[in-house]
Amino acid sequence: MRRVMVVGAGMTRFGRSSETLSQLMCLSSMAALRDAHLGEYPVDGVVVANMGAARINRQTAIASALVDRLNLFPATAETVENGPASGSSAFKVGYQAVAAGMADVVLVTGVEKMRAVNNLEGTDFVASMSHPEAEYIYGVTLPSLAGMFARMVMERYGVTRRHLALVAIKNHANALRNPYAHIQQAITLEGILEAPEAIVNNPPIAEPLHLFDCCPVSDGAASLVLAAEDVAEKLGKAGIVVAGIGQATDTHAVHERPEPTRLTAVEVAAERAFTMAGTSRDEVDVVELHDAFTILEIVQSEAAGFFPQGEGHLALERGETAFDGSLPINPSGGLKARGHPVGATGMAQLVELTWQLRGDAGERQVQGARCGFACNFGGFGNNVVTTLLRREDR
Amino acid sequence: MSSDAVLASRCTACGAVSYPQHCLCPSCGGERFEPTPVEGEGTVVSYTDLYALAIDFEQRFLRLAMVELDSGVRATGQLLHETPAIGTRVKATIGVVRRQGETKIRGLQFVPV
Repeated sequence: MRRVMVVGAGMTRFGRSSETLSQLMCLSSMAALRDAHLGEYPVDGVVVANMGAARINRQTAIASALVDRLNLFPATAETVENGPASGSSAFKVGYQAVAAGMADVVLVTGVEKMRAVNNLEGTDFVASMSHPEAEYIYGVTLPSLAGMFARMVMERYGVTRRHLALVAIKNHANALRNPYAHIQQAITLEGILEAPEAIVNNPPIAEPLHLFDCCPVSDGAASLVLAAEDVAEKLGKAGIVVAGIGQATDTHAVHERPEPTRLTAVEVAAERAFTMAGTSRDEVDVVELHDAFTILEIVQSEAAGFFPQGEGHLALERGETAFDGSLPINPSGGLKARGHPVGATGMAQLVELTWQLRGDAGERQVQGARCGFACNFGGFGNNVVTTLLRREDR
Repeated sequence: MSSDAVLASRCTACGAVSYPQHCLCPSCGGERFEPTPVEGEGTVVSYTDLYALAIDFEQRFLRLAMVELDSGVRATGQLLHETPAIGTRVKATIGVVRRQGETKIRGLQFVPV
């Protein structure tokens, strides 16, 4: 297999957007293509990650639409739907095309326009990835699966609502340094947990999870340009190498997992990515995790192998995962505050890692970052893609 | 077996019971199953009170649970118990769990023993 480099990155600001779905994916794609300065090199293939356009935007085959809007004919085009893991899955498809020699340059774009529908419809769209007969019919939604998961983890490992609040406070603080983030709001323990009015500010969503334990519903798009190493060198853009990709699946119904407090697919996917990269956890400088719910950041930080099982909340409490800690997690603000346009999230994580490794992350730059890890978590953990990007100085 | 029972699958090759239904037995890969009802008593593995309700639901909150039945089979359903905790003993019953327009969907409701 050929080595593959990230040669361009771009994204839209996440949030509520007045742009159309097509326009969102154009804007991030154009930003990434401008960044790549491809010159004479054509885009051989386009991969678009998206979960809900068919249902919530009444639009299908959107990768072909993107090729048309950008006049990239006769590039190949595929749309990848893999739930909330669509972004990193599409990245993997693009990587495979370049690594296999079927393409030299591939544009990968993740996009979602969720605010096109109301909250009830949006929640139902996301809930449609739960098990139709064994979960969905009962009124199960993703927050309810996260609520049941959180209660088990809290009872077993002594995680408290205060720990969950610390994740939200950290990620909101990080997002204040990210101009692309959906939420720009500092929050405090007092305001969301301790003050008498905290229950009003932070009402329950799926006990024990409250509003500030849940990511917002966002619109947005994020894009990367991948190139074969020789092309990247000719472009003068060699430097960020796709070092490892790992993916794994787990049971559809959460209750069927032998240990429902474990995120086995995260464990396996991470191990596969680190094995492929020949890298150890110690070498990782910056991490983007899929904190659709605060509890997930804590448990993913363990399942990915950065902390022992049941100790992620302790590392958080010690400040190790803070922006200025020894292993900054979600310097972008994560899903919690950057936002979560489901099909775009995995790509946004990788755009953030690219900027961090290039030293282009502005105020939220993790100093000297050379190796980044991302975990993109689909379903309630039934399909997980993890990615390692590494900076190589030449 | 009641006509509106929620059914698990017993593999005719290895006897393992799985719920929900799979096309191949998760234990041995077998392809033939006998239906067996999800029934009896069990304990609450976890539960949640869901306030951000799904479409079709209008109450203030919906109490959902994951239960391990004494048969070893686990299932997700609605929890009709006033003071649940992890480990609470419950019994599986069948009732209306969702109304979609005129259609009443029946499924698992866990009630106090």
